[in-house]
Amino acid sequence: MSQLLNIYYGDMPEAVFNTEVFFKNSYADEWIVDDFSKQMIADVDKSCVLGTGVIDSPVLGKIAPERLSGGVKTLMLIKFMPEMVFNASTCGNNCAKWLLQIAADEDRTVNLRNIMNFGEDPFELKVLNTGQVVHSMRELLPIAIEYV
Amino acid sequence: MRGSFEVLVSSRRLQYRFTIRRNVTVIRGDSATGKTTLIDMIQDYNENGIDSGIAIKCDCKCVTLGSRNWQRDLRELENSIVFLDEGRRYVMSQEFAEIIRHSSNYYVIVTRERLENIPYGVDEIYGIRTSGKYGELKQSYHEFYRLYENIPYGRQGMNPQKIITEDSNSGYQFFIGAFEDRECVSAMGKSNIASLVAGFSEPVMVIADGAAFGPEMERMTEIMKVRKEIYLYLPESFEWLILKSGLISRENLQAVLANPAEFIDSEKFFSWEQFFTEILTESTRGTVYQYNKKKLAPVYLHEVSKAKILLQMKPFLEKIGW
Repeated sequence: MSQLLNIYYGDMPEAVFNTEVFFKNSYADEWIVDDFSKQMIADVDKSCVLGTGVIDSPVLGKIAPERLSGGVKTLMLIKFMPEMVFNASTCGNNCAKWLLQIAADEDRTVNLRNIMNFGEDPFELKVLNTGQVVHSMRELLPIAIEYV
Repeated sequence: MRGSFEVLVSSRRLQYRFTIRRNVTVIRGDSATGKTTLIDMIQDYNENGIDSGIAIKCDCKCVTLGSRNWQRDLRELENSIVFLDEGRRYVMSQEFAEIIRHSSNYYVIVTRERLENIPYGVDEIYGIRTSGKYGELKQSYHEFYRLYENIPYGRQGMNPQKIITEDSNSGYQFFIGAFEDRECVSAMGKSNIASLVAGFSEPVMVIADGAAFGPEMERMTEIMKVRKEIYLYLPESFEWLILKSGLISRENLQAVLANPAEFIDSEKFFSWEQFFTEILTESTRGTVYQYNKKKLAPVYLHEVSKAKILLQMKPFLEKIGW
């Protein structure tokens, strides 16, 4: 049975808001070379992981993990620190499919402070503010706009 | 501060070129487009000057604002373009909105938050795109693009019978009179428009002040992706429509309307809508067209006046089948 992405919309004091700083002081080398991370980095940042400390970016050249995009760093925090809740509004819409994929293996809870677009394909996620499970943007939007 | 400013930020690998036109600009969009990299480059330049290897060309000072001592830093800054990266929780606060309201600076804010306390314009919400590489150094060239340049309209000619306006002030009173065969509904505040629209199943036209509608745009455009018969008309403001119509004569008016940024002082006007209200009120004082934002003078609904104002909306009205 697939797991669920749980979303809390709006202000959530217990969520880590500044994921940039949190990532810089919390990430582990093995996160970077994990196959799932490599796929996210290739898709979102169009970059190739060369090793634990080096990523090849077509725009920035050889960079350290701290210089990955804010979106990918937040995705990795969500993937590898399931006990915590992070502000996923640091992720653009191009991260939405990865959020769903992370939660496909194991439940995750994220905080959203904007309307992330999860695309046109059917999906399943739970809005914690109301307890409702939704399957499309058409179902999600009337709920989300009440909170953000 | 007034005017628009060309900004060029460059390093060996990267070049950003854009124009800042109003007191508040918001940058959002997909991840990995270079938003944080731009802010980091400006910060490196602020801290290290020429040693940073970064060059900034702009007619006014470009600075970044951090998390610590932000109130003190903001009070000390004047006539600068202040860049803020996401992760600054205070940007959502009323205190931040109050400080920048009376500031001579312009602000460029990277965020996907609504910022409902700040009345920023629909035209000043940008994404960043990479347009290619220049020269032998393979410098990547980044530019801003308006996220809502082409608002996704539904099918043309749907002839909506319902109109939603932001509030019940003069604009609402005008549209009730001008479109008396349609139903006109006040949302009682722009932040209520998205919920109201989501509750309707029939085609609907929304009229709101584009100069301050920025916080609502993400919600509105997402709803418009799943509900195809929503039509959004966003002039700078209702007062701007009247000024554009030619009903009112005033020295320099055409120059003001052609290039508002050159005339609007950010320290005095938090949004352009406030500026247009003030010049309309001033220009009509003691005349038959005396303008009151709360109560529309009947003269604006006389046939000639009405026709001139509606003429400004003609391209849009034709598109929706009116």
